[in-house]
Amino acid sequence: MRKLEIQTIMSALFIFAGLLSANAQDANTILKNVDNVLFSAKDMSGNNKMILIDKSGNEEIREATTQQKGIDKRMFRFTSPSSQAGIAVLSLPEDVMYLYLPAFGKERRIASSAKNQNFAGTDFSYDDMESKPYSEKYTPKLLNTEGNVYVLELIPLSLKSDYSKIIMKVHKTNFYPELLEYYNKANNKVKVAKYTFNKIGNYWNPSEIEMTDLKKNHKTKMIMNDVKYDTGLADEEFTVRKLKQ
Amino acid sequence: MKKLAEAIVKFRILIVIITLLITLVLGYFIKDIKFNSDIMSYLPEDDNVAVLFNNVGKKYGGNDMALIAIQSDNIFQKDVLEHIKQLTDSIKTLEGVGTVTSLIDVIDIKGSDWGIEIGKLIDAYDLPETNEELDSLKQYILSKEMYRGSLISEDATTTLIIAKINSAVSDKSTITNQIKEMVTEINMPEKIYYGGIPFMIFEIGNIISHDMIWLGLSAFILIAFILLLSFKTTRGVILPLSTVIIASIWTIGIMSILKFEITLITSIIPVILLAVGSAYTIHVINRINEEKDQDTKKALLKAVAYIIIPVFLASITTMVGFLSFIFGSYLTLIRDFGVFTALGVFFSLVLSVTFVPALIAMSQSKSNTNMDKARSDKSTILNNFLKQLSIIIFKHPKYSFTIWSIILIICVIGIFKVERRVDMIDYFKEESTIRKTEKLLQDKFSGSLPVYVTVKGNVQSPEVLNTMNKVQIFMEQNEYMKQTQSVADLIKEMNNIMGEGKTIPESEEKIQQLWFLLDGQDIMEQLVSSDLDEGLIQGNISTTDNEALSKFSNDLEQFINENQSDECKMEVTGIPSLYERLNQSIVKSQMYSLILSIILVFIIVAGLLKSPLKGFFAIVPISATLILLFGFMGFTGIPLDIATVLVGSISVGIGIDYAIHLITHFEEDYKKTNNVQSALEESIKISGRAIVINVLSVSLGFLVLLFSNLVPLQRFGLLIAVTMISSGIATLTLMPVVINLISRRIKIKSLTN
Repeated sequence: MRKLEIQTIMSALFIFAGLLSANAQDANTILKNVDNVLFSAKDMSGNNKMILIDKSGNEEIREATTQQKGIDKRMFRFTSPSSQAGIAVLSLPEDVMYLYLPAFGKERRIASSAKNQNFAGTDFSYDDMESKPYSEKYTPKLLNTEGNVYVLELIPLSLKSDYSKIIMKVHKTNFYPELLEYYNKANNKVKVAKYTFNKIGNYWNPSEIEMTDLKKNHKTKMIMNDVKYDTGLADEEFTVRKLKQ
Repeated sequence: MKKLAEAIVKFRILIVIITLLITLVLGYFIKDIKFNSDIMSYLPEDDNVAVLFNNVGKKYGGNDMALIAIQSDNIFQKDVLEHIKQLTDSIKTLEGVGTVTSLIDVIDIKGSDWGIEIGKLIDAYDLPETNEELDSLKQYILSKEMYRGSLISEDATTTLIIAKINSAVSDKSTITNQIKEMVTEINMPEKIYYGGIPFMIFEIGNIISHDMIWLGLSAFILIAFILLLSFKTTRGVILPLSTVIIASIWTIGIMSILKFEITLITSIIPVILLAVGSAYTIHVINRINEEKDQDTKKALLKAVAYIIIPVFLASITTMVGFLSFIFGSYLTLIRDFGVFTALGVFFSLVLSVTFVPALIAMSQSKSNTNMDKARSDKSTILNNFLKQLSIIIFKHPKYSFTIWSIILIICVIGIFKVERRVDMIDYFKEESTIRKTEKLLQDKFSGSLPVYVTVKGNVQSPEVLNTMNKVQIFMEQNEYMKQTQSVADLIKEMNNIMGEGKTIPESEEKIQQLWFLLDGQDIMEQLVSSDLDEGLIQGNISTTDNEALSKFSNDLEQFINENQSDECKMEVTGIPSLYERLNQSIVKSQMYSLILSIILVFIIVAGLLKSPLKGFFAIVPISATLILLFGFMGFTGIPLDIATVLVGSISVGIGIDYAIHLITHFEEDYKKTNNVQSALEESIKISGRAIVINVLSVSLGFLVLLFSNLVPLQRFGLLIAVTMISSGIATLTLMPVVINLISRRIKIKSLTN
């Protein structure tokens, strides 16, 4: 009789503990799934259109071609407006970044401490643009599920991050992020990113990301066109020599 | 008039009750009144200097600066940096603060052999900790022109947090208050100083409200004491002062209902009412005391019937004097001041001829024994003095006239020596914290007064950037302008990093590509417009000396005119030009109004008394007082500024009253005796008594302001005393002498009408 009681209690405890860890597990799994959706392609290339919208609604458009291999090699080359055409940014592993200015015919390395700076007048910081898996940068916690989405709270692992947390809403079945809300150290919501995905081949492609800086009341729409996955880009495409072409 | 006087006595209880009821109702509304000590907000919104200044504020994230200086034996210590970071972060969250710059939050462009780094000077999330790190940071920061002397003092003991505030939209007093609260909250062991216009304005507001309470109270008690000595009755004290209080309550109550703010200028309305309004009541009481009728009721009736006319005339002319500000004024602020002072004067008039006699009638109906003891004191010093006075001036009227002429001529010379200084720092005493802070900011940094040059044109073109550079070099040649900042500096810095030297690139293409790296940096919003069609050069000037400032502005203005083109148009603004502008317009409009009011007084008195000659007599003491006042300022070095120029208008108000009382009294006596001299003597004796009481009480009361912590208030008190005394003396000596001398040549016919 007593044995049975203990067994019951024990198994109840196990189930409870299991539930708890299942929750933790879930948050991690969800984020892993998100990373898989976002970063599993071997390579990607396409055209990038950035629409900068200021608080009075004035628009400014910049276009660039982008190529990416794996998660840590990327070439970004501006094509318009003409004043910026030819400016290129090359990102390599371990936060190595190079910039090429055609008018000077020279490249310069950009230091990594510039990561919390905004990229080329957009509302994306270099940090936001980085394609490092979320699970390597944040500890997730599942807050709740609402309708079609999981709501995750991401706490940065690095103290150097500008953010205290990010709230991420993840599509339940497709595991792509639909909405990201960035909170500053004072725990105020400072930026919001809205994602729109479409499916290209086997991959979900973020066809449009709309990033709003709530304090500046400034918005950037990043639209991806002509996206191709897994075309077999070579490592040679991501060198300083290539940058200067 | 007799009927009116009878009505007042008949309805005395009703009058007193209605007066008190109105006072209660209007007094209730005073709780909503707002005080606005922000001098900068006084310029009209469409003033071109103000428009430019406000545009700078709107476009570039602020135009006014609140400076917080942090002092420690060495700034480069971990916890000092930590405190700077905390304070920078919290100030950023304040509503109305545009941008915040400090060592912890400022752009840094680093170039080296291997590459470039554009980022923050210090990584706020990874503050240096070891002594080595801290020391190398110190070496690096002190080596850069961009920071040395603008964010950190050369000896590394003092650093600044600069909060830019948009002066057109922010509530500066709230912001400054919140900043001080934050400092207390962080509980920093370092020494903190607060500088810049927002803190000065805050401080001025504080001092004024403190001084107004303590000194105002002392002045009030002193005036009450003098009134008590003069009239030897409580009603002689209570009635004049209660009229002033009631009239002030009514005026401020109505201002509050109509949503007007109390400004530094309108705040002196109660002061004017104290000087002018109390005089009406003093004349009324004096007249009642003079009526020798033993039947108190009859005496009251007679006195009131007589006094209504001169008091009415005096107050109407005073009102017209203040209403003349409506025409002469460029600033709405001065217009409001004129209208509401006139309203207050009107209330004082109404009260002194209704409420005062009604109250006297009430107290008399209770006890008839209350008749003034002053009667028995008729032979007091005052009366003897006045008698002696008339003997002296009439024995040798020509001598008296000559003495006055000499004094006035000397004063006219003094007028040309009057300085026109505008220096807010001058408002504070030498030993005040604000002044010490300003000295610190001037010694270790580049001062606290921002100067801006807006440069309209394509800011990415080499021509515009080179022009900006040229203007900056010119500005920095001035000994008081240690440093300037513009986008041209950043482009030069970037060009250097690209290996092409610290110059502006010769092609627009290169500039645009360097721009690519600066795009999105916080600092860009402070330096160029979002459409890239305008750039801003900003610098601080480290002097508050007016001459140096105006020389700087003029030279800069000239340099800009010589160097601008259709592709590159420039304009100067900033606190110094704004302040100069404000002061100029106040002083100018006041001068214009003073002259206008003298002309109007002449017309009114001449018209109402149907004699141009009497109009002339009335403006004699006013003009003499103004000459004396400005001459006095010239010789004592008291500058003409926002506060002191207002004394002129008070002196007109007071001068009119004294003159009118003497003239009407003279006329009445002259009618009876047809003897100019004896009529004058009698007028001096009776009206003179009220005048001397008014002069003594108000001027002594105002001398209390000499104990103020604010220099303009000290000067204001002194000048009011000078004005009161010279108005009194001019009315009692110069005017009778002029009348006397003129009546020898011209028969004053119109007077007998």
